[in-house]
Amino acid sequence: MKLVLVGMNHQSAPLEVRERMALACGDARTSLREIVLLPDVREVLYLCTCNRIEILAHVPASADAGFLRAFAAAQGGLSEKEAADFLYARENDEAVRHLFRVAAGIDSLVMGEPQILGQVKEAYRQAVRSRTNGILLNKTMHHTFRVAKRIRTETGIADNAVSVSFAAVELAKKIFGDLGGKTVLVVGAGEMAELAARHLIANGAARILVANRTPERAAALAKSFGGTAVPFAEIGRALQEADIVISSTGASGFVINVEMVAAALYRKKNRLLFLIDIAVPRDIEPNAGDIDNVYLYNIDHLQEVVDENRASRMREAVRAEAIIEEEVGRFRAWFDALDVVPTIVALREKLEGVAQGELKDATAWLAGLKEEDRRRVEYLATAMINKILHDPITALKDESADGGGLPYVAAVRRLFGLDRETQKPEGETPSTGH
Amino acid sequence: MDILFFKAAVAAYLASAVAYGFSLTTRQVSAARVATWFMFAAFLCHSMSFFALFTGSAGRVPLTSIHETLSLFVWAMTGVYLVLQLKTKTRVLGAFISPVAVVVMIVASVRLGGEVSLPAPLQSSLVPVHVFLSVIGEALFVIAGAAGAMYLIQDRLIKKRGKRSFSRYLPSLLDLDRIHHVCLMAGFPVLTLGIFVGSIWARTAWGSAWQWDPKQVWTLAFWLLYAFLLHQRLAIGWKGHRAALFSVLALAVVIVFFVAGAVFFPTVHRFA
Repeated sequence: MKLVLVGMNHQSAPLEVRERMALACGDARTSLREIVLLPDVREVLYLCTCNRIEILAHVPASADAGFLRAFAAAQGGLSEKEAADFLYARENDEAVRHLFRVAAGIDSLVMGEPQILGQVKEAYRQAVRSRTNGILLNKTMHHTFRVAKRIRTETGIADNAVSVSFAAVELAKKIFGDLGGKTVLVVGAGEMAELAARHLIANGAARILVANRTPERAAALAKSFGGTAVPFAEIGRALQEADIVISSTGASGFVINVEMVAAALYRKKNRLLFLIDIAVPRDIEPNAGDIDNVYLYNIDHLQEVVDENRASRMREAVRAEAIIEEEVGRFRAWFDALDVVPTIVALREKLEGVAQGELKDATAWLAGLKEEDRRRVEYLATAMINKILHDPITALKDESADGGGLPYVAAVRRLFGLDRETQKPEGETPSTGH
Repeated sequence: MDILFFKAAVAAYLASAVAYGFSLTTRQVSAARVATWFMFAAFLCHSMSFFALFTGSAGRVPLTSIHETLSLFVWAMTGVYLVLQLKTKTRVLGAFISPVAVVVMIVASVRLGGEVSLPAPLQSSLVPVHVFLSVIGEALFVIAGAAGAMYLIQDRLIKKRGKRSFSRYLPSLLDLDRIHHVCLMAGFPVLTLGIFVGSIWARTAWGSAWQWDPKQVWTLAFWLLYAFLLHQRLAIGWKGHRAALFSVLALAVVIVFFVAGAVFFPTVHRFA
């Protein structure tokens, strides 16, 4: 029994090869069926996104990853040399570690990005639907999801925005908390401003005002946001209604100057004002940021925030790796216990423990017996254990000799509670998908 | 019995402060949740200790010495914080409140269980009402000051546009401003009422509501300070930065004068 993984990511292969692979990916269901028909494959997971491919399979201990590599190469139309250069193969611990890293987003181009976890979950769902999953894959995947969640909550790997528009939203939340009921004024129509505005709306911003030199453009943009168009000349008035201003016009001078901001702030009784200037050259006079209760960020400031956030994610990745090491160890312990020999030993110990316990409870009564009878009772208990265990143990040995022992081992461990002392049984029942 | 509950409360405050600290440094929200429960347990024990004192053999209102007053102050502050916590979900404030609670409780425990004899003028039912209201009012001002301090830190971090390592743990500016405002709005009338009740009592006990006693003068000065702050806020719109700064400074002045007053100035307004 063994886990093997074959894959390709942005580090192992150049874009041109990844493109070819991604195009060849095709339907996951078909691919799963093809792989599971390969000799030696007992369970399989197939993940294919635009930037990576990962195939995880449960195979007998005697098999190696060669045939999976051949499958991936054939699917992607890779030559033998390309397959050797661009595909990586991992086994057991290495495979599990890689899977944990992928799901946690450590292996991604953007450190800690959350989409990949969704894609891994979808790949597992697909495996469940196509019935290419089994005990080992279920357990591995559920462990993977748990690790990804743990890393997300215990490290800052997914904290803080790594794009300019998200950084703006995060700052807005640091200022206003809940964005619900807030008014956003969008000045100009840069692409990044539009994106930031959309993020703000998605986070609850209630009202959108749009000002543009061309009224038609303003009206169109306002319509797409479900907002209101404001004449360009009345930006000063719009300012006093706004909580957040995003400016990105092509103007060469300042569109919003200090006097306008100060006047607006006076009229809105010093309610907090967040100014985001993503235009180059700048739209908002820099001194406006010195006014109390006004927070001004231009494109460079936001970029700095993003750079710092990127760096901080890299630092958090070190902590994430430590968690992964710990979890790989935990998985290893479970995996090793799935072997038939330790299971038989544990089963026997459990029953003998029961017999010893009962004999001890009956000490007072046993003391009344003759020495010979006492021994006979003890012998009886041992003999019963041996008789009871004979068939199950024979069956376990036979099944595992045929390579199909895993479900039996897992069932015995579950039925007799053999994992209870060493480790708590894992949260979810492994046999159900999502 | 009251002492037992008091000690349990101190232990729970300490546990809560440790858990809040742990949660801040390791960024585990679950630890903060535990800390809040410790805080709640501390509050219950603390309430029980007051209750035991009140129903016990002495049967007195627990407001007769400076130590008991400090203890009541912590109790009120914790109660206010727990209500705020329910309303605003800003646990990080607890990390500022709980260490204060621990320190003040330790000071308050110095004279624990000592016999207290009440001077005759204090055996009026108005006195506990006066102390109770004043202490709750002051506790609200302290929380307002803590929220103000957090506001200033967060404001500084956002204005500076620098590396934002600590700002993540602090609540948003608007939430802090809201906490600040609510505490001021609640604290001011409560304190006003407390002073009013005190002056009625003073009239009966000392014959005059106003003595030109240093403590009375300062209290009036602080009352005017906060009245000014509230007026500016409501009428002119002192929000955010300026209000927070004023509140923090006012609180700092109050604390300095309270300590200095206790050490250097003679006052008739002192009974234990």
